[in-house]
Amino acid sequence: MDCNEAKRLIEPYLDGELDRAEARALEAHVDGCAECQAVLTQLGQLRHAVRTEAPRYTAPASLRERIREARVEQPARRIAPRRVPAWWRLAAACFFAFIAGSVVTLTWHPGAGRDQVVNDLFASHWRALAANSPVDVVSSDRHTVRPWFAGKLPQAPLVRDFAEQGFPLVGGRIDYAGAQRVPVLVYRHDKHLIDVYLLPESTPAVSSAHREGYSLVWGTLDDQPTAIVSDLDGAELARFKALLDAAR
Amino acid sequence: MTSTATASWVSELAEAHLDAAYNLGRWLLGNEHDAADAVHDAFLRAARSAHTYAGGNARAWWLAIVRNSCLAALNARRREQPRAHVVADEPVDPGTTEASAQAAERGRLIEKHLSALPVEFREVVILREIEDLSYREIADVLAVPIGTVMSRLARGRAHLQKSLAASPEGR
Repeated sequence: MDCNEAKRLIEPYLDGELDRAEARALEAHVDGCAECQAVLTQLGQLRHAVRTEAPRYTAPASLRERIREARVEQPARRIAPRRVPAWWRLAAACFFAFIAGSVVTLTWHPGAGRDQVVNDLFASHWRALAANSPVDVVSSDRHTVRPWFAGKLPQAPLVRDFAEQGFPLVGGRIDYAGAQRVPVLVYRHDKHLIDVYLLPESTPAVSSAHREGYSLVWGTLDDQPTAIVSDLDGAELARFKALLDAAR
Repeated sequence: MTSTATASWVSELAEAHLDAAYNLGRWLLGNEHDAADAVHDAFLRAARSAHTYAGGNARAWWLAIVRNSCLAALNARRREQPRAHVVADEPVDPGTTEASAQAAERGRLIEKHLSALPVEFREVVILREIEDLSYREIADVLAVPIGTVMSRLARGRAHLQKSLAASPEGR
């Protein structure tokens, strides 16, 4: 890596936006380059100063009150002022998902070949590992994860927790795999994170793949194709895949 | 979703991310009154356009509406008072101990220079450093490609570094 390349990567590095391979390569360069080290240090100091010293303004109580009042005034609230229970919203979402299922089908970019799909999934997993949190909805409880998806997707995925079998559900996120947004369920096994990408039915089936100590295997969850990406060893990954395949 | 569920969803979303919305508004508009009005306006817009939400990051969707509402307020302000100096709130004095006075002084310094950044750079720095949004989320809020987010962030930080270094308070 030369200095131009390194300087281009320093900010994404500090912002947690590099994948592991890029981050390691940058660190290796910076270790041996005083100039880039100085750039990294200065940007790090600026970042620290802004984060710790710039005020984060909190909403005044009067604004909170105005929002609540506006909420009450909305016509829909007058018709049904009662809070809609979560289970009912879930049921409604499932119903619409059922209706919409045959019409709205997520499709992978048609030009994307099998290798591209594999590359995209690894890249997405590594980005998630480098980010501050691998999940957008944190939960050890599938009853909060599925409704979160239900509000965002035409079809909320089946969500199962395998805590008893040693694979607790950490949460979920919606992530890009290439240009496609897909739901991701995140599980943990000891210190290993496992991403389960729920893929469109049209995804080309591919054999499993390995990159830099990470594995990708294909499975199904409730008949939907999934890609499981993790640094688990082969036997544990197979055990997890079997659990997922059997889930109903 | 039914319209009731939609209205309730927007309210929950807005309330869950009200501080984020207000903080963005406060930094873009410079005072409490305008920021609160812009967020309130954004909430009404969000409730009206909830059916346009097409999935993805809900916080980014909400903050995009807040941002648009703030930019509309800025435009209106420019039209009405082309040369007026924006009235900014006085920084609140948070305490009297020496350590907190120093911290307040540093905070004021950062605030002064950050507030002086052009809006297009200020907003990305606020969203990244204070609201801790990822590049992808910022791109969603601004409706621009991630590459644009990166270049604006880099230029914003470079501006800020330069103005802090040139500041007589010394840094």
